[in-house]
Amino acid sequence: MALDFSVLLRFQDALLKGLLTTLELTLICIVLGCAIGFFVGLARTSDNRILRGVSGFYVEFFRGTPVLIQLFWIFFCLPLLLGTELSNFTSAVIALTLYMGAITSETFRASLRSIGREQYDACVALGLPRWTQTTSVVLPQAVLRAIPTLLSNCISLFKESALVSAVGMADLMFVGSNISNNTARPVEVLTVVALIYFVIAFPLTRAVTFIEQRILTKLAV
Amino acid sequence: MIDRATDPLVSVSGLQKAYGALQVLQGIDLTMKPGERLVVIGPSGGGKSTLLRVMMGLENINGGSITFAGKPYIHAGAKPAKTAIDFQVRRSIGMVFQHYTLFPHLNVLQNLILAPCKVRGEKKSAATERANALLTRFGLGQKATAFPSQLSGGQKQRVAIARALMLDPKLMLFDEVTSALDPELVGEVEQVILQLARQDMPMMIVTHDMWFAKNIASRVLFCAGGVIVEDGPPEQVLGAPKEERTKDFIDRVFHIRQ
Repeated sequence: MALDFSVLLRFQDALLKGLLTTLELTLICIVLGCAIGFFVGLARTSDNRILRGVSGFYVEFFRGTPVLIQLFWIFFCLPLLLGTELSNFTSAVIALTLYMGAITSETFRASLRSIGREQYDACVALGLPRWTQTTSVVLPQAVLRAIPTLLSNCISLFKESALVSAVGMADLMFVGSNISNNTARPVEVLTVVALIYFVIAFPLTRAVTFIEQRILTKLAV
Repeated sequence: MIDRATDPLVSVSGLQKAYGALQVLQGIDLTMKPGERLVVIGPSGGGKSTLLRVMMGLENINGGSITFAGKPYIHAGAKPAKTAIDFQVRRSIGMVFQHYTLFPHLNVLQNLILAPCKVRGEKKSAATERANALLTRFGLGQKATAFPSQLSGGQKQRVAIARALMLDPKLMLFDEVTSALDPELVGEVEQVILQLARQDMPMMIVTHDMWFAKNIASRVLFCAGGVIVEDGPPEQVLGAPKEERTKDFIDRVFHIRQ
């Protein structure tokens, strides 16, 4: 059987809509996940043992279990615990945000730890109060150092978001699967879906490399 | 305030510092008068840098005390973590480190004005004016908007000195500030420090550069094994040391340099 990509032309609108859903979901989870990750990263480097313990458990749990299971658990079990129904969009946002939070917290933690002791010495020698040390010296450098890895985290999340099709959310992957089932053309459809993911992810991975070099050059002292 | 030139600016008494079982400073006693330029020399691991770090309040101590300009500054507690440091007094002291320690995400001007604006509440415009004047004085007038990564080692170290001076310190500590520099860049940094010396800025300098030590010191300490082995004018300690250990060290260092 010859490959026939023309069949996809009929489904342009559906694919576009699926892509927009994927992008919307990814963006929401990136923003919320990075916010959670930032504070969890701080908590993990905190002097407070309880904060360290709770944040450590959260991160290890979400890093150590498959995203698909987290997604199913939140979609099926969380409504039982809360006593209220959750839409598949809400479930997907909660699951991917918590996953993203765990992953990015590690990025923030690593970048906080990468700030050398001599930077703290300089702060002391200049008499900078603790708050100024944190907000003007440590955090800006940590965030700058975190950017390349954060972007990689974002690209991973964009691809991982395809898993939400498993709970019936009409993202790009879900639309692709439907078209594939209806047309019996899985090879053509899934190839095009993969290409769409690639066309968006590839420039971003290039950008990560570029930005990483810029930042490393700037922070090299 | 120091009323008379004979009153000590710094008075160190019985200073002890250990890293675990390793005793780095073993009861240092030292007084320094205003206007003195004290150069500390000695073998690596002899406690020179630790002495400066303690002076800056960067390390807890195990015993002893330091007064600065007649005020209690650092005092040992029941255990090292309980070391009492007067932060107001600490602000009178500036320090420049071997590895520049500029803030890489801030440009030169921002590096200079951060502490005056945040610590002293100085207006940004006033701090910027002072910073630009200092940068011009140190030959860095064109570098105000450059980032540290765009500067040579010598330029970075001059910026670090200017940054410390922005807080009008009453004592400057220089910890091997030329050790990380390429040989051809050492001179430009030493010239800046000599310039400060001519203005009677009190300073304590740890250096391995004996030429520099000889040119800048009003007094030289030879520090080894956590104690001050010899303390005297540069002609004595560098030229005709009385102690055998000092003589050995000086002979070896000058031999290497020849």
